[in-house]
Amino acid sequence: MTQPILSRRNALGVFGLAGLAATAGCGSSVGGGDSGGGSSSGGGGAIKVGLIVPQDGVYTPLGVDMKNAWDLYLDQHDGMLGGYEVETIVADEGEGPDTGVPAIQGLLTRDNVDVLVGIVNSASALGSAEAIAAAKKVLVISNADAIAVTGDARSPYIWRASFTNAQAAFAMGEYLAGQQPEGGVYLMAPDYAAGQETFVAFKDSYVGGGGTIAGEALTPFGTTQDFQPFLSAIPGSGAGATFVFYSGGEAVSFVQQYASLGLKDSVPLYGSGFLTEGSVLEAQGEAAVGIQTALHYSTEIDNPANTEFVDAYQGAYDVLPTCFAVQTWDAALVLDLALAETEDLSGDAVSEALGGLAEISDSPRGPWSFDGQSPKHIEYLREVQESDGGLINVVVEELGEYGQ
Amino acid sequence: MTEWFADNFVSILNGLAIGSLLFILAVGLSLVFGMMDVLNLGHGALYLIGAYVGYQFTGGVSSWSGFLTALAVAAAFGAVAGLILSVATQPLVGRGHLDQALLTLGVALVVAEVISIIFGDDVQNVVAPPGLNESIQVFGNTYPAYRLALIGIGAVLAIGVWLVIEKTSLGALIRASVSDREMVSAVGVDNRKVKAGVFAFGSMLAAVAGVLGGPVYGARTGLDETVLLLALVVIVIGGLGSVRGALIGALVIGQVESLGKALYPDFASFMLFGALALVLIVRPRGLFGSKVGAG
Repeated sequence: MTQPILSRRNALGVFGLAGLAATAGCGSSVGGGDSGGGSSSGGGGAIKVGLIVPQDGVYTPLGVDMKNAWDLYLDQHDGMLGGYEVETIVADEGEGPDTGVPAIQGLLTRDNVDVLVGIVNSASALGSAEAIAAAKKVLVISNADAIAVTGDARSPYIWRASFTNAQAAFAMGEYLAGQQPEGGVYLMAPDYAAGQETFVAFKDSYVGGGGTIAGEALTPFGTTQDFQPFLSAIPGSGAGATFVFYSGGEAVSFVQQYASLGLKDSVPLYGSGFLTEGSVLEAQGEAAVGIQTALHYSTEIDNPANTEFVDAYQGAYDVLPTCFAVQTWDAALVLDLALAETEDLSGDAVSEALGGLAEISDSPRGPWSFDGQSPKHIEYLREVQESDGGLINVVVEELGEYGQ
Repeated sequence: MTEWFADNFVSILNGLAIGSLLFILAVGLSLVFGMMDVLNLGHGALYLIGAYVGYQFTGGVSSWSGFLTALAVAAAFGAVAGLILSVATQPLVGRGHLDQALLTLGVALVVAEVISIIFGDDVQNVVAPPGLNESIQVFGNTYPAYRLALIGIGAVLAIGVWLVIEKTSLGALIRASVSDREMVSAVGVDNRKVKAGVFAFGSMLAAVAGVLGGPVYGARTGLDETVLLLALVVIVIGGLGSVRGALIGALVIGQVESLGKALYPDFASFMLFGALALVLIVRPRGLFGSKVGAG
């Protein structure tokens, strides 16, 4: 049934089995298991969803969180989204567009999925926009964060349930402009699209709000193991605070080296939330305590949806959920709401239903709505603190709502 | 001048620490490549094994017993892995670097994947032992004590390896093998044994470097490729098959990576390969390469 390429003989076999399954199904109409051979559009009851997440490479931990959240949502909703029985086909996004784009094309052409969910890497989202538009299927992005995806390179079929790079940086810029750290702010980020977008957004609100930049450094992306050469410029710049955008392995090295060079106590560290999100926080340990970050999610947000979500997630997987899990949960949530409004699974119909959604009120991240095709949501100021169970991102205050 | 030195003191110090680590990593690769003409692309994977052994035995807790156990286990593991690699590459002797590269790279990929399966893909932290896991004041600059210790360890190892290679009869045998393998075997020495010994020793150092580098670089997937690249640059700059070359190459790259990036942050991405290109233009065989190489 998941045979990728059917030879004629295989096809006959599968149809034969499907026939058998159909006859058998007559006896007991429960039919809880997988649907038979080719029932892609039975009686309006089924939908094929292509879940495309990284299962290999540096983003694998994100992919695990995303798939966990997707499975959890379906488990809690009897495997249904908006009244349709969901068949999920998982594909491996890998690290970049060289693996991500073919995986999406495979889901569209070979598996004939009705809706796509996932995508970590923005380049994969941008690279497959054309194929998605040609197939007229909806993609709900649950991570890829480049502004262009739903900005300049917008496609009517690509929606985002995650965030954009600019949001957290803009919110933090506004906050720091209000704080006016003496000597200004020192900026650091990896030298690639996300880092550059972060710089632009931060300066927009921070310099626009009257702040001064003490200095800045874009570090080579993916090859910087040791940040000391860049960090040693900070004391001399007279900066009163440092704002950075790092994630994954770089976030771990950065935070530890920032602390071990004695900067943590003299120049407070601020960042976009990925600096201290998920598994990196554990690896950073003591060095991360006190860091303040802006993000659209924290496990500590106090609302009923989040409490329920965190409990369920922890119960199922024995770890705290990350923002990547929440984003995928929300992707399932918006699809659930939108599919309930549509009779038709074509990309145009699903897209229209998504566009017609009111504010999404029961998301773990708090209420949010689509601004264009990307979320407008609350950014939270979070501080890393020690608790009984290890380190957590405590919500200090809400920084306000930000659109894409 | 004094002021410039004071401003960049931390960067210079850091360059020495990174250089020490690179030396420990690269000297084995240099000897194996220079001596038996075996291009071992599995060297980075040995470092990665060391890094994860460090993580396994320290487990995020600062302890001397854990750290020393990790060093011992990594050394043993590295030596055995070196022997296996030596045996595995034996049939490929004389078949050119490409076949060796394919074999050792294949082994490296398998090792990296197995590590990823066992430990997952999360970034792991190796904690320096007590007393070294804090920062101290050096002439008014805060600097991690562990990195200072690394400079000391690097210096001791460099002197030790240099003494063995330059001053002992075993070292003479190794040097003779570097300069003329055929002649050594013609006088009745089984150079497979010499190769296996050097291979085991070099691999042991790579795995030890993994533990030692843990508190600086951590343990994570993809680290093997990064350090392999650095080690290759070091031995190309220093010249093959020479301890002195590996040491100078490592110190040069240490400073390029640290002081160079601090002084010219805008050129950080090109700095490493810029230095490599410069050395290759001026001294194609590396700073200390032998003039009578195998061509």
